[in-house]
Amino acid sequence: MSDLTQTETPPQPFANRALDPKTLATVALVGLLLVLPFGAGGYLIYSLSLCFANAIGVLSVSVLVRYGGEVSIGHSFFVALGAYAVAILEKQAGVGFFVGLPVAALAGLVGGLVFAYPSRRLSGIYLAVSTMALALALPEILVHSERFTGGFEGLYVALDPLAGLPKAPQRYYLALALLVLVCLALARLRKSPQGLALLMARAHPRAAEAFGITRGWARISVFALSATLASMSGAMVAVASSAVSPNSFTLWSAIFLLVGSVVSLNGLTLVPALVGGAFLTLVPNYLAGAGDWVPVLYGAVLLGVTLAVNSASDLRRILTRGGRP
Amino acid sequence: MLKTLVGDLPPLLWSGIVSGCLYGLGALGLVMIYKSSRVVNFAHGNLAGLAAFLVYGFSSGGLANLSWGGAVATAVALVACIAVLSYALIAPIVFKSDLASTIATLGIGLILQGAIQLVFGAEIVNLDLPIPRFGLSLAGVRITSYDLTVLVVTLLIIGSLFLVIERTRLGIAFRATSSNPFASRVCGLDLRRVHLFSWLVSAVLGLVAALLIVPTTFLSSTTVSSFMLQAFTAAVVGGFASLPGAALGGILVGIATNLFSFYVSPEFMNSFLLAVILVTLNFFPDGLLARRSGGRV
Repeated sequence: MSDLTQTETPPQPFANRALDPKTLATVALVGLLLVLPFGAGGYLIYSLSLCFANAIGVLSVSVLVRYGGEVSIGHSFFVALGAYAVAILEKQAGVGFFVGLPVAALAGLVGGLVFAYPSRRLSGIYLAVSTMALALALPEILVHSERFTGGFEGLYVALDPLAGLPKAPQRYYLALALLVLVCLALARLRKSPQGLALLMARAHPRAAEAFGITRGWARISVFALSATLASMSGAMVAVASSAVSPNSFTLWSAIFLLVGSVVSLNGLTLVPALVGGAFLTLVPNYLAGAGDWVPVLYGAVLLGVTLAVNSASDLRRILTRGGRP
Repeated sequence: MLKTLVGDLPPLLWSGIVSGCLYGLGALGLVMIYKSSRVVNFAHGNLAGLAAFLVYGFSSGGLANLSWGGAVATAVALVACIAVLSYALIAPIVFKSDLASTIATLGIGLILQGAIQLVFGAEIVNLDLPIPRFGLSLAGVRITSYDLTVLVVTLLIIGSLFLVIERTRLGIAFRATSSNPFASRVCGLDLRRVHLFSWLVSAVLGLVAALLIVPTTFLSSTTVSSFMLQAFTAAVVGGFASLPGAALGGILVGIATNLFSFYVSPEFMNSFLLAVILVTLNFFPDGLLARRSGGRV
């Protein structure tokens, strides 16, 4: 029962939250990111906007791992759903990001519900397999529904979310704001009755059933939540990169999202999300010359981190056993 | 209308069965590993792709200039080493977490895919089977030497696999491990040996399937792994834990995809397979053979 062993310990109540060093560090980091655009170059600002958008995608995969105990290698589908929702709304209806984002989130929610339903009673490997099929089906759907998606070439996203303000900074701050909001919401969820119910359904399914929470229901809602986050990330990616095309939503991009989540140790707070997002965005940008070494590097990191996390948990168990005979 | 149907259907069914055998071989490799070690091996297609490239490299002069048979033997040896190495890498987590070991196989798959691109680059090559070319027509169906090779090889492999699993001590160990790993360990079985057996068999099955499937198209760094979805669909249709189910699932998927691409649209093949997976999971979560095969392997 891998579910039982990976259960998190409940959060420790702090006497004074403001003095908690972790919170302080996070606030300081957000402060630093807020003033960064005044001193940094355009390319870094652009990369960081994408990094924030990708960080939300990494969070969506981590939510699925943490709350559902499931692996998805098809989240590129939901990211694409959000990205294309924004792009298509702009092209067909001429409306901008602030209409596109809620529509994208809704599309992700519905998509997640519909997709998770068939595998609600099955073990996680079936979900992994069906998400792989989802990721593989996506490019052909995008390419062959040219009327809406623009086929191979994709669509441009040109409309500024906040008309009249300079382009690069508003994208940067919007992406940062959305990321911080998502992190705050996830922190709330962790302590809310709903969040605890989902965790309990994963760790102690029988006990949860006794309280009226069925495992199937929990699976579906976790997946829908995760898909919603992924779509929001997609909406932000579309605005931050000002274009969407089928090339950015393949099985590989879905696997890279999982790599980002694994690298961030499936953390649901700001710093791990940024680490995962940075790994996804900055590594390929700065290693463009490495070319074919990139998949090898990603694979080695995925394998290495997974094995290291496992041996770390072994070590901890040995140490705690040694402490308490 | 009816006349064209009668004319079209037999060739479609025949070629569906032939490609279905290949999907079945791919699915058998996945199911072997899943049954013994509860790991879904996402690196299966990448390893099979590397195997095909190794055969090409050793027979074409890229890496060596061997005969086809020699190249296949060398490739089998190398692929077996890689399979053992991959299993050794994830061995610490196999018993602990299906989730972590499945993620780890994705990592192995990425490394193998990168290795193909590093060694062979973006080459697109032909890799044919060394068989005499002939064809015959039977009731409106054209049967080629390639089709017959696929059928014979598939039957030979399934037959020998069946013999090994039903008649040898190793096969009994494999069946015991797949039905109850804990009890098998209590009885003194070395589960690692059983796992290794299934990983090795799976790697060889992947190589055979890759060699047979490449002649239908061409060999590029993504050719073989692009057939993985068909193999996974076949495994899901067969219940993911049933070897006969995988073979039958392969043939069903082969026929269904052929009919779909002929009558509906070849462009939406992956979406069709996705729909097949979702429908199967919803209505036959344990595969089509669930009730009949019971607890047998």
